[in-house]
Amino acid sequence: MERAVPHAVPLGQMEVFQALQRLHMTIFSQSVSPCGKFLAAGNNYGQIAIFSLSAALSSEAKEESKNPVVTFQAHDGPVYSMVSTDRHLLSAGDGEVKAWLWAEILKKGCKELWRRQPPYRTSLEVPEINALLLVPKENSLILAGGDCQLHTMDLETGAFTRALRGHTDYIHCLALRERSPEVLSGGEDGAVRLWDLRTAKEVQTIEVYKHEECSRPHNGRWIGCLATDSDWMVCGGGPALTLWHLRSSTPTTIFPMRAPQKHVTFYQDLILSAGQGRCVNQWQLSGELKAQVPGSSPGLLSLSLNQQPAAPECKVLTAAGNSCRVDVFTNLGYRAFSLSF
Amino acid sequence: MSSESSKKRKPKVIRSDGEGKYYSEEAEVDLRDPGRDYELYKYTCQELQRLMAEIQDLKSRGGKDVAVEIEDRRIQSCVHFMTLKKLNRLAHIRLKKGRDQTHEAKQKVDAYHLQLQNLLYEVMHLQKEITKCLEFNDSGVSFPNRLAEKYRECLSNKEKILKEIEVKKEYLSSLQPRLNSIMQASLPVQEYLFMPFDQAHKQYETARHLPPPLYVLFVQATAYGQACDKTLSVAIEGSVDEAKALFKPPEDSQDDESDSDAEEEQTTKRRRPTLGVQLDDKRKEMLKRHPLSVMLDLKCKDDSVLHLTFYYLMNLNIMTVKAKVTTATELITPISAGDLLSPDSVLSCLYPGDHGKKTPNPANQYQFDKVGILTLRDYVLDLGHPYLWVQKLGGLHFPKEQPQHTVIADHSLSASHMETTMKLLKTRVQSRLALHKQFASLEHGIVPVTSDCQYLFPAKVVSRLVKWVTIAHEDYLVTPALPLHFTKDIVEAGLAEDTNLYYMALVERGTAKLQAAVVLNPGYSSIPPIFQLCLNWKGEKTNSNDDNIRAMESEVNVCYKELCGPRPSHQLLTNQLQRLCVLLDVYLETDSHDDSVEGPKEFPQEKMCLRLFRGPSRMKPFKYNHPQGFFSHR
Repeated sequence: MERAVPHAVPLGQMEVFQALQRLHMTIFSQSVSPCGKFLAAGNNYGQIAIFSLSAALSSEAKEESKNPVVTFQAHDGPVYSMVSTDRHLLSAGDGEVKAWLWAEILKKGCKELWRRQPPYRTSLEVPEINALLLVPKENSLILAGGDCQLHTMDLETGAFTRALRGHTDYIHCLALRERSPEVLSGGEDGAVRLWDLRTAKEVQTIEVYKHEECSRPHNGRWIGCLATDSDWMVCGGGPALTLWHLRSSTPTTIFPMRAPQKHVTFYQDLILSAGQGRCVNQWQLSGELKAQVPGSSPGLLSLSLNQQPAAPECKVLTAAGNSCRVDVFTNLGYRAFSLSF
Repeated sequence: MSSESSKKRKPKVIRSDGEGKYYSEEAEVDLRDPGRDYELYKYTCQELQRLMAEIQDLKSRGGKDVAVEIEDRRIQSCVHFMTLKKLNRLAHIRLKKGRDQTHEAKQKVDAYHLQLQNLLYEVMHLQKEITKCLEFNDSGVSFPNRLAEKYRECLSNKEKILKEIEVKKEYLSSLQPRLNSIMQASLPVQEYLFMPFDQAHKQYETARHLPPPLYVLFVQATAYGQACDKTLSVAIEGSVDEAKALFKPPEDSQDDESDSDAEEEQTTKRRRPTLGVQLDDKRKEMLKRHPLSVMLDLKCKDDSVLHLTFYYLMNLNIMTVKAKVTTATELITPISAGDLLSPDSVLSCLYPGDHGKKTPNPANQYQFDKVGILTLRDYVLDLGHPYLWVQKLGGLHFPKEQPQHTVIADHSLSASHMETTMKLLKTRVQSRLALHKQFASLEHGIVPVTSDCQYLFPAKVVSRLVKWVTIAHEDYLVTPALPLHFTKDIVEAGLAEDTNLYYMALVERGTAKLQAAVVLNPGYSSIPPIFQLCLNWKGEKTNSNDDNIRAMESEVNVCYKELCGPRPSHQLLTNQLQRLCVLLDVYLETDSHDDSVEGPKEFPQEKMCLRLFRGPSRMKPFKYNHPQGFFSHR
C-alpha cells in the first residue's frame, strides 16, 4: 500500500559505518566516580564514555539519559582497565596509563592530566595493560599486562618503584589483600601468584590447571579473573570458577559453570561472576547457584558495584561486555535498563 | 361662552351638496366681505373701549344702581368679545386660504419654469447640430455624397492591398524550397565541422511538444552534456503527432465518460465483467504516459553505455525512468550476478533510501484510491521507476510538509542536481560492471585480487573460497528454523533492508568451514558490504560465543577502509573476501593446543606472530603488517 509502511531512515555511508562500529563495540572496563553519581566505561576503540547514573536512575529519566553525557577519545587502543581515586580517573590500555580529573571530565575537550608508561623490556610491540590496582596505604598504582610483569607506580611522584617478575605469560587480573599488603595476580600461564609488596617477592603460587577438579583443558589454562576476601580467593577463566583457601592453597568450592568467567567479585555473602554467556551469576559460598540474571550482551567482561557512600541512591550493579551497552541492575534480581554508547 | 361652544357643536350652516349637516366657517369666510368685517372690528373695538370707560366711571362713582349698570355693560362687553373672537378666527382662516392659494400658484409657476428650461436646452442642442451640419456643408460637397465617396475610396484600397498580399505569398512560397535546398547543401559542411545544427534544430522542434518536466530535463541535460560531459547524449523519442493530438478539445473524452457512467448506472449481474474492465481502463488511463520520452545515453570509459529513458505520467504528474546497460563486449552473466545489472534494480537506491517503488507525489494516493491501485510498485516494470532523483531532474519537487496544489517544473532544481546525479549514475554502472566481472571469478572459487592490492595480504593464503551464491532477502532474515541465525544483529540494527542484495560465501580449509553471509548495499562501494560469520570447526562458533569470530567480523566490517584499494574502490568486496581467508588461516593456526587431546594440531602455525593472545578477550593476531609480513594485534 502506498501509505501504510513507515520507512526506516535511509542509511547513508556515515550512518552505516556508525551502526557497524556500535555492533562491533566491546566495553572492557568500568569505573564509578568518587561522588558515586557517574560511571565511566571504556571500549575497544579507545573511547571513554561518562554516563550519569543519577540522571538515568531518577524518576524523570528520559531516553537521552541512557546516553553518555560525554564521550571522548582517550587512548589509541582499547581501554582495558580503569580505576578511580578520590579525585582522578585512571585509564590504561595500549601500554600507557593516563589520569583524568573527575571534576573536569564532563567538560568537552577534556585533556589527560598526565600519562605514564612503565619501563618495558620489549620494544617490538608495546604490551597492553590489562589490570590496574590501587594500593591506598602506599598511595601507589599497580599495573600489569602484556609484558608479564607487575609494575608499581607511586601516584605522587609518578616514579615506577618495582617490577615484579614471575609470570611466564601475560597477566590478566589483579587483586589486593589489604592486610599484608599482598597482591594476587592471575595470568595466561594458568598461575595465580601472591606477591608481598614490602619484600617485592612472590610468596605463593597456585597453578590452578594442575588441580584436576577445576581444570578444563579444552578451555585452556588461563586465569581471567580474580577476587579476594581475607583468607579466601576466587578465580576463574579457562579452568572452572573455584573458591580457594589461600593459606592451604586448596580449592574448597568448585562452581558448576561451564562457560569461562571473565569477572568475579565478592559481594556481601555472595559471589558474583560473569563471562561467556549473557548472565550475571550469583553464587552462594557453598557453590550453589542462587540466581542467573540475563543481561543484554552476548558475553560480559566487566562488573561494577557502585558502593560509594556519597550516593546511596545510585547503588547499582552495572555489567558490560561484548556490546555497546552497559546493563544496570538496581537490585540483583533483574536488569532494570541499559545505558548505551 | 356656552352659546359659543354650542355654536361649535351644532350644525348651523348647511352646505349646498346636502350630505351632512355641519357648520363650516371656511364656507362662511367666502360669503362675508373682508372690508365689512374690518369695519365691524373697528366698531367693536370702539364699543368695547366706551363700555370699559363707562364701567370705570360707574365703579369710581359707586352707588346702588351701579352694580346693575355694570352688569349690563359687562354683558355687552362679552358679546363684543365674542365678536372679536369670531373676527379673529375668520382672519386666521382668510390668512390660511391666502397662503394655500399662493403655494398652489407657486407650484404651477415652478412647473412651467422647468418646462421652459427643458425646451431652452433642446433648442440649444438643436442649434449646435445645425451649426455642425452647416459646417460640414461648408466643405463644398453635400452630406450624402461625401460618404459615398469615402466608400468607393476604401474599396479600391482594399483591392490594392489584396493584390499585394498575393504577391508576397507567392514570393514566400517560392522561398521555402530555396531555403530547403540551402539547408540540404549545408549538411555535409555541418558534418564536416561537427556542428549538427540541423539535427539540433529538429530536436528543438520536437522539444516544443514535450510536457514541462521532460522539457526541463531535456534542456538541462543537453546543457550539462555540452558544458561538462561530452559522453552524454540526449534524444527525444516518440510520436510528435500523438503529442499534438493531446491538445484536442476534451469533449470526446467527456462523452465517453458520460457513456460509461450511464452504463455503470445500469449495472446488472450481466454487466459485472465489464465493470472490471472499466476499472482496468480507468487505471490505464490514470497511468498513461506522454507519447514523447527523453533518452539519455551515458557512455563510460570502458565503452559500456547506460541507456536511460525518461517518461512522464500525465495524470500523476510524475516522471519515471527505465534503465538498460549495454557493454562493448557481450556479458556472460554469472548466476549470482543476476540482479546486479537488471533494469529493475540497477539504479535502486542511487541516493540512500530512494528505492523507486512508491510514487513521490502524495496527491497520487487519492487518485489511486478511486481506481483501486494499491501501489505503483505493481506497475514499475512496465512504467519505469519513479525515483526521487528523476523528479528532481525534471524540476519537480513534492514537499512533504506543505503539499502543493500544482507542482511545476523548475529549471534551477534540475540544474542543481544534474552533475551529482550523472556522476553517481556513472559510478553505479561501473561499480556494478566491476562486481559482475568479479562474481564470475568468485563463482569459480577464485578471489580476484588486483596487483595493486596484493600488499594487503601475505603471500601464502591457504583457506579457499569454495562457494559464492546469491540468497534471497527472506533467507537472510532470522527465524530459528533457518540456518542463518547468526545474522540477527545485522537485522536488528536495521541494516538488512529489502533493497539490499544478499550472498553466501563459503571458505574452507581442512575440516574447517566458514560461512559468511554478505549484505551488499546498492550504494556499494561507498557503503561497505557487511559480513556475518559462522565457523564450523570443533563446534559451531559465531560472534555470540566466540570473541575471535567477532573480531574477524570487525576486521572486514569496521576496518574496511584499508581494503578499499585505489579509487574508485571497486576492489572492496574481493579484498574483504581475501582478508576473510587470511583471517581464517590465522584463527586455525593459532588455535591453542589442548593438552588432553592426542595427536598433532590440524593446522601447524605458519604465520609469523609476535604473540598469540592479547588482552582480556584473548584476541588472536589478525592484523597483517606489510612489508615485514608478520601478524600482530590492533
